[in-house]
Amino acid sequence: MLGAVFVLWAAATITFFAVRAVPGDPAETIIGGPGSQAGEEALAAARAEYGLDLPLWEQYLRYLGGLLSGDLGTSYALRAPVTEVIGEQLPGTLALALTALLLGWALALLLVRQAARGGRVSRVLGTIMEVTAAALPHFWLGAVLILVFATTLGWLPSVSTPDLPGLILPALTLAIPLAGFLGQVMRESADDALASTFALSARARGESPAGLFWRHVLRHAVLPAASLSGWAFGTLISGAVIVETLFARPGLGRTLFLAVQGRDVPVVTGTVLVVALAYVLITFAGDLLEMLVDPRRRRV
Amino acid sequence: MTRLDDGTSGIGAASDTTTHASRRLLRVQSSPSRHRPLRRAAVGATAIGALLLAACSGGTGTGSEAEGPVEGGTLVYASGDAEPTCLDPHVGGNYPQALVATQYLEQLTALDENREPVPWLAESWELAEDGLALDVTVRDDVTFTDGTPLTSEAVAANIAHLQDPETGSSTGYLALEKVEDVEEVDERTARIHLSEPDSALLENLAMPWLAIQSPAALERGMEENCAAPVGTGPFTVSEWNRQESIVLERNEEYTSPDPAAENTGPARLERIEWRFIPEAATRYSALASGEVHVIDNAQPDAISRAAEDDAIAHIDAPRPGASNRIELNAGQAPFDDDRVRTAFIRAAAVDEGIESLFFGTAERSYSALSSIERHVHADPAPFGTDLEEAAALLDEAGWTAGDDGVRTKDGERLTLRFPVSTNQSIPAEISLFEQIQAAVAEAGFDVQIQQLDLASWYEALAKNEYELVSAPYTRTGPDVLRVLYHSDGIEPAPSGYFANHAQLDDPQLDELLDEAARTEDETERGQLYRQAQEIILGGHYILPLYDQQNHFLHRAGLHGVRTLAVSTPTFVDAWLED
Repeated sequence: MLGAVFVLWAAATITFFAVRAVPGDPAETIIGGPGSQAGEEALAAARAEYGLDLPLWEQYLRYLGGLLSGDLGTSYALRAPVTEVIGEQLPGTLALALTALLLGWALALLLVRQAARGGRVSRVLGTIMEVTAAALPHFWLGAVLILVFATTLGWLPSVSTPDLPGLILPALTLAIPLAGFLGQVMRESADDALASTFALSARARGESPAGLFWRHVLRHAVLPAASLSGWAFGTLISGAVIVETLFARPGLGRTLFLAVQGRDVPVVTGTVLVVALAYVLITFAGDLLEMLVDPRRRRV
Repeated sequence: MTRLDDGTSGIGAASDTTTHASRRLLRVQSSPSRHRPLRRAAVGATAIGALLLAACSGGTGTGSEAEGPVEGGTLVYASGDAEPTCLDPHVGGNYPQALVATQYLEQLTALDENREPVPWLAESWELAEDGLALDVTVRDDVTFTDGTPLTSEAVAANIAHLQDPETGSSTGYLALEKVEDVEEVDERTARIHLSEPDSALLENLAMPWLAIQSPAALERGMEENCAAPVGTGPFTVSEWNRQESIVLERNEEYTSPDPAAENTGPARLERIEWRFIPEAATRYSALASGEVHVIDNAQPDAISRAAEDDAIAHIDAPRPGASNRIELNAGQAPFDDDRVRTAFIRAAAVDEGIESLFFGTAERSYSALSSIERHVHADPAPFGTDLEEAAALLDEAGWTAGDDGVRTKDGERLTLRFPVSTNQSIPAEISLFEQIQAAVAEAGFDVQIQQLDLASWYEALAKNEYELVSAPYTRTGPDVLRVLYHSDGIEPAPSGYFANHAQLDDPQLDELLDEAARTEDETERGQLYRQAQEIILGGHYILPLYDQQNHFLHRAGLHGVRTLAVSTPTFVDAWLED
């Protein structure tokens, strides 16, 4: 718990100072973007309104104070509370990330199951597929999926729409590399489990290969992958920055991208903080899942 | 296209069932349509803003086109520009705002095919003898979409709004520099008082950044007005789902189409869905699969691909104002020496680069002004390439060849810092800069390209840390030359912004530009601008590349798209085949 608070504080502090270290006058962003021909008066008024005329340490303390009361500040560019901006964009990104996470798991299980069932050839093939999938960059993969499924086949829209068909391509773009990674992790434990004595005894009891896999091996295979889901979720959020921009899908990733480009400091810090919070929560959920799967953990 | 149209054509049909059904029957018989790609035909043709474009001017004469416009439907527009933070183009004033505002706001004047100001919301105008007062009479049959009538008071309120520092207008504010105040002579006539004669005013009033909005709506305050400005245009802002789309609904009471419009009443399209799709490849793919009807910021590769697709038409509408050019900072060494500037231009071969990187979609420019402007003077002579001459000039200027190929003088290397804004330069342009970098290296220049985001780029300029820069500038009329090359433009605004990036400081040029801006006689004005351009081109302060590229691609089933004063598309005449 204390660790979680520390992580959040560190994330808030690092982003606060990092975004202030970059060049550019935030007052100009407020007035109308870089290159604005705003007068000195208008700039001064904007600085005063957003407290930018205060010393840095005072700005920092005010910012922390605001955080404690749940206030993330006001967006320079959108002129709306950051909590509201994030609140609007969060559901879309969560839907995307969770769908991708589920899809990623499903694909990974399929891969591992396939490899566990087949002989040496399918095993090698499975490994190649996993390594390749894990290495695919989101940007390239998304572009290829658009080219195949939207432009050529016309099955799915290339621009993400709020309905289910619009979610498939962006989610797949995130899920495929994730599946490759999860598959690699699961495989190793699955192999160990298959070679272990309990698998042998189960087989001796007359357990079918499918039953052996789903009832006995899977638990062991899933464990390391489950504990990595927190990390996986994080990669999904950072992947969302690319995928949401590519598919023109509204969400937190695109908000973050635009905010960084536009030097919208409160939105950047707010988004980073929310993502950090999500990391913490997901890691916690991953721990819970581990306990569910592994009875040994429950006794501790 | 079918997916979207199926959802909407029903609405259009409901209003006019019988004719719609019979049209549909005809259309079935007349298929298949045979639209020809009109890329070449469209190039240059759009210099005339009023021209009917692409599919319409092609005259391939498919049945459905011959039948005339279809009523109804939702047009989906995909913009690659950044989403505006305020839909009122008075606030700030950039191109993305102008693109969308063209659909719901209108101006006092329009520009005809010769770029001459013609009446739009203003019915007529009269300039005082001394050139210090302009009486503008507005039409008496126009009402803003909130019910407020268009009067002289609206003109006064809009100019006051643009000049109010609280509004934060930059483009509109600059265009009204010489306006002192506005007097309401009667219900329909506003007298604009000027501090000195302004021959660019009527041209400037045609820009969307000086659009006329409902005075009652302006009074609502910045926040509300930014979310939904109220004008007299063919559409109104109905919804704005940030980061996703702006929904524009047809103005059913519309009475004020621009002078070049074919349509006299409300638009044919019922609704426009204005989406933001930042990624160029996705945008093109959405157009190719028919998810959207129009895309802007079409990239050279997409344009050349579209030329092979009969279902897609192309509009090439270069922006007015300045050409795209590289400016040489003459305010400091080494470019304060004319010989070094000349040597750079002699070494910088750009023609092949433009041809190959832009797939033939951009034509080489030899002018400081956009090719669509009045009084444009193009001269290839100062821009010839000759490596030997470049070397000789540099030798003469005291820059001697160093060990690593880079010339030096008094221990200083011949380094040229070139900050490039990745927001303003498309990938093809950045590649072109890299080719120039390689070409001038042969003569001993060490060009250092720095790719920067917009804020860092402005900062590099404000700190005078550049020898080369390329900055777009859109404006109507040749007076843009005064903004860009008058020595007043070297003095930065409090934000650090300045427009004279070449830091051209020539009293004779200043005098010509000031005089031209005061001269109402068009012939005389043209002569002054010609002399000014001769100084700018002959002094090797700039390396013109091409017009500001502004390409639209649309489904061939969309007809009647035209572009207005700053080359933004209007859909007042547009209709969709279904």
